[in-house]
Amino acid sequence: MKLATFIAKRLFLMLLVLFGVSVLVFVISKVIPADPVGAILGGNAPVELVEDLKRRLGLDKPLINQFLDYMSGLLKGDLGKSLKTNRPVVKDIAEFFPATLELAISATLFSIVLGILLGIFSAVYRNRFIDHFARVFSILGVSMPVFWTGLLLLLLFYFRLGWLPGGGRLSLFTTPPTKYTGLLVLDSLLSWNTEALKDALTHLVLPTIVLGYSATASIARITRASMLDVLRQDFIRTAKAKGIGRRLVIYRHALRNALIPIVTIIGLTFGGLLEGAVLTETIFSWPGLGRYIVNALLVLDYPAIMGGTLFAAVIYSLVNLVVDIIYAVLDPRMRI
Amino acid sequence: MRKTAVLLLATILLFVAFAKTPKDTLVIAANTEIFITLDPAVCYETFAAAVVTAAYSGLTKIEPVNGVLTPVPELAERWEVSPDGTMWKFYLRKGLKFSNGDPLTAEDVVFSFRRVLKIRKSPAWLFEELGLNAQNMEETIYAENDQTVVLKTKPLAPNIVLSIIAPPWGGIVNKKLVLANEVNGDLGEAYLTDKSIGAGAGPYVVTEWKRREVITMEANPYYWRGQPPLKKIIIRDVPEETTQFLLIQKGDVDVAWNITTEQAAQLRETKPSNIRLVTTPGQSNEYIAMNTGWGPFKDERVRLAIKYAIDYDAIINSVMRGFAVLNQNFMPIGYFGYIELNPFKRDVEKAKQLLAEAGYPNGFEVELITSTTEIRRNEAVVVQANLAEIGIKANIVLMPSGEMYQKYRQQGHQMIIAGWGIDYPDPDALAKPFANYRVRQLAWRNMWYDDYAADLAERAGIEQDPERRAQLYKELQEYWIYKSPFVMLYQPIAFWAVSNDVIGFEKACEGYTLVFDFTKISKK
Repeated sequence: MKLATFIAKRLFLMLLVLFGVSVLVFVISKVIPADPVGAILGGNAPVELVEDLKRRLGLDKPLINQFLDYMSGLLKGDLGKSLKTNRPVVKDIAEFFPATLELAISATLFSIVLGILLGIFSAVYRNRFIDHFARVFSILGVSMPVFWTGLLLLLLFYFRLGWLPGGGRLSLFTTPPTKYTGLLVLDSLLSWNTEALKDALTHLVLPTIVLGYSATASIARITRASMLDVLRQDFIRTAKAKGIGRRLVIYRHALRNALIPIVTIIGLTFGGLLEGAVLTETIFSWPGLGRYIVNALLVLDYPAIMGGTLFAAVIYSLVNLVVDIIYAVLDPRMRI
Repeated sequence: MRKTAVLLLATILLFVAFAKTPKDTLVIAANTEIFITLDPAVCYETFAAAVVTAAYSGLTKIEPVNGVLTPVPELAERWEVSPDGTMWKFYLRKGLKFSNGDPLTAEDVVFSFRRVLKIRKSPAWLFEELGLNAQNMEETIYAENDQTVVLKTKPLAPNIVLSIIAPPWGGIVNKKLVLANEVNGDLGEAYLTDKSIGAGAGPYVVTEWKRREVITMEANPYYWRGQPPLKKIIIRDVPEETTQFLLIQKGDVDVAWNITTEQAAQLRETKPSNIRLVTTPGQSNEYIAMNTGWGPFKDERVRLAIKYAIDYDAIINSVMRGFAVLNQNFMPIGYFGYIELNPFKRDVEKAKQLLAEAGYPNGFEVELITSTTEIRRNEAVVVQANLAEIGIKANIVLMPSGEMYQKYRQQGHQMIIAGWGIDYPDPDALAKPFANYRVRQLAWRNMWYDDYAADLAERAGIEQDPERRAQLYKELQEYWIYKSPFVMLYQPIAFWAVSNDVIGFEKACEGYTLVFDFTKISKK
């Protein structure tokens, strides 16, 4: 099968998945026995006002009509208006997504570097001290609550030592860079605002470590297993027999082949970080999409919940698609 | 590789510089997640309302006068009211200007009031309480000339009218500017959502609101009273209380808005040198309500038994860590007509006896609903234990507040723990919901169809003579406290962690949730 056909087929499947997700989210959010308008107006609002607003928002229509309205909006790229803020959901997502993306990219890079290094060392020095250390280190990363690690690091590096800032994306009195992409590091580079660049980087350090650490473990474990697998194979033995240096064998011959399964796990990690950053965003006052969606859930802001979830699904599917394409490129057998 | 790492760390450390907040700028760390809009016709959330009040002045303003929250003149210099209390004339000060220099006239006031009624969001019902609505607004709200605004209200006690037209919802907007920025007939709603540049005549101008990041306010050069001491106020969004607490201790912010009761108690006990705990009685109350349409609660004696079963002190001291005032009446302390009346003390014997008289010597089972916050959950547990001692088995059901209010509004609960935030500083704002079922509020939700209480509340609401009015409220409170299906638990105390560099915060926060006055704050 040609690569283009493969991609086209995958894109079509993705649309089906997204349709399924939207139906599911719609049904679930309408089944919850609660009243979004009442929640928005608060406990003091009289019955008449609640009924009136419900009518004005079209929430008194039959479910099927509400669903059709929503889907037809969706086809036009309109995710509806947030019940709470009265702003288009698309606009909200566009505002909050870059912050989450920046954090997720940085955390993924962190976990890739750390995870792959740990994995290689564990594989090469199997059952030696570094292997055991890597195992404990990774398990700690998965099992320590993000909340706890986050507060601990804040307490140490911000409060006690004063080395790093206590949250947010930029200091209050730093002039933000011109907005091109919404990714502050990139924007400060593009507009060559070195002050903002330094500031944005220092603000990224702690949340990156907290978020990236928890993702490191799986990458390290997969790398280790995959490396061991490759190191056992014949061509490595041949390479060694030919007298090629140890480093070269490990990094050029073994690692390249071990990378294939790692790509999958990195893709999954990245997708997971994009939506799973809620707690990190909360502790570090990070204005991201994770908090937006959770907050929407708390106030029963249906259009925002659905828009956010759909968006996350799109991102997740896209990441998966990219992973599959990389696979297909690396190994043509995968295209079948 | 090690060298690079060390170098990298060293460079990062070099870049970090910490500065104290500037002298003329107040930096607040707060959870701004509940901020929805800063449009005065839509905003209904407590802290956001404080920002709206700073940006948009109204005809009147709420001020604590001798400990009582009172409406005082603001943009209106004075007013006249007809003897029957229905025809109001407000005379504007001369030379009033919006923050962009545009003159503020009676036409802007009329536009602002009608705008609230036309948009009809959360605050609109308060204006409708006055007898103003979208249908009659042409006849009931108009300008007599550039300086004079006329309001034709229902017959009401003057204090009600004067407190309802104070900001936030009574904030005056710049008609010209708002209409110039109208989109699809939204009366400028989208435009006013996140800024107030040129649109208001309050002491501050909201220059920018970056959601989940920061809200910036700057002093309004045209404010009629002159510029306030602080030139700039920055509200930094910090959702996590622990982070807020670290920031204030470190000196990176001047105020931590949402510290927890534990952190507050810690401040109260340790008294650090650089920050202090500021407290003020909150304008709200916390209560248990019983649905009188349901089973045993139909009997007045059962309701009374429960009032005697609750351990009020335990709730105040353990759940609230002392940050609450015992107040068993529906009115907060210090309100016009308030009488101190706290007749209920935990008395298990008396409660059991009352239950037996009502025909429930072995108690009964009841569903107790409340929302999922930690305080409510803890309260529910105490109440459950208290009731168990008189033989009542309470099954606690926690639900998100949206779901809880849904059930409550449909009279679908048996027993509930909830709170009431006061809307305007007049006893009427409490007597109506708590005692008059005809307004379809709390009394109605609990099916307490008591005409005596409803009549009293209505009569007091229109009484023009203050002395007779106070007498009516006294009668109502004395009747209500024994007869109503409400067990008032306490009046909460609001608190903040404030840097010692900040002066006047104590005055600024007096009356919080109804009013917060940034102009009273300055810095060392």
